[in-house]
Amino acid sequence: MMASKDRMMVTEPQEPRAPGFVWPAAICFGAIFLAGILAGFSKAAAEAGKATLAPWAGPLIAATLGIAGLFFYFRRHADWFHALSRRRRRYWTALGLAAVIGGIVGVWASFDQPTNRGAIEMAFTGALSAKFAIGASILWVIGLLVSMVIYHRSIDDHEERAWLWAGLAGWYAFIFPAPVWWVLHRAGLAPPADAMLLFLLSMVANAIVYLWLKFR
Amino acid sequence: MNNKLKVLRAMRNWSQAELADRLDVSRQAVNAIETGKYDPSLPLAFKLARLFDMPIEEIFDDGFER
Repeated sequence: MMASKDRMMVTEPQEPRAPGFVWPAAICFGAIFLAGILAGFSKAAAEAGKATLAPWAGPLIAATLGIAGLFFYFRRHADWFHALSRRRRRYWTALGLAAVIGGIVGVWASFDQPTNRGAIEMAFTGALSAKFAIGASILWVIGLLVSMVIYHRSIDDHEERAWLWAGLAGWYAFIFPAPVWWVLHRAGLAPPADAMLLFLLSMVANAIVYLWLKFR
Repeated sequence: MNNKLKVLRAMRNWSQAELADRLDVSRQAVNAIETGKYDPSLPLAFKLARLFDMPIEEIFDDGFER
């Protein structure tokens, strides 16, 4: 009986492994690194008077390889996804959708800008085309709306509570400084209120409280 | 609020992740309940009571004495 139990334990199928964050992050950084190498190669070729890659070729090659890498990585973990409960499948689908939207906007933003821009200029201050601005806005609002509806319908009580407090903290991080800044500006004591800075402050407060309540 | 979740889980030799799977919540939720950082909602408390086949007041103790 014991032997048969042992045999059963040996032949028991392994639990499907959850995907981690290391490989997807490595694949994304690898794709960005490759895009940088190709841009550098193209620049060096132009300086040497040789034929260069088309401006879209480097990012396209890097994005294609990155997407293919992510596809094969997540396909290896398909069993894990199918073994999840319906709630958890919805949860990870929502997060995956948000990540895909973020990825598309990020890659599109890099396509949309000249390659000689620095990171700060590229991320915060550089001019964007109207096509990108409208497209990214639509993706952000509709995509995030859909993924957040799915997400908030699939989180558990504990995470819901974390979000409620985090949302309140984010709101307070906006309503306390915004009128102060506005009044100070009217008195000539501060530059005009920067909506994006207030947005960032609100997001940081939101993220800190959420992470604290969810993972402490 | 105090609770016996950790003891009940240990008696069944379940990990936090296993209990979380049975309750269909995250492992962090189980950990937060066990360490008293989070009091579960009434539906989740009922789910726990059904899972351990015990009344809610035998799992959770709010310190009230008659």
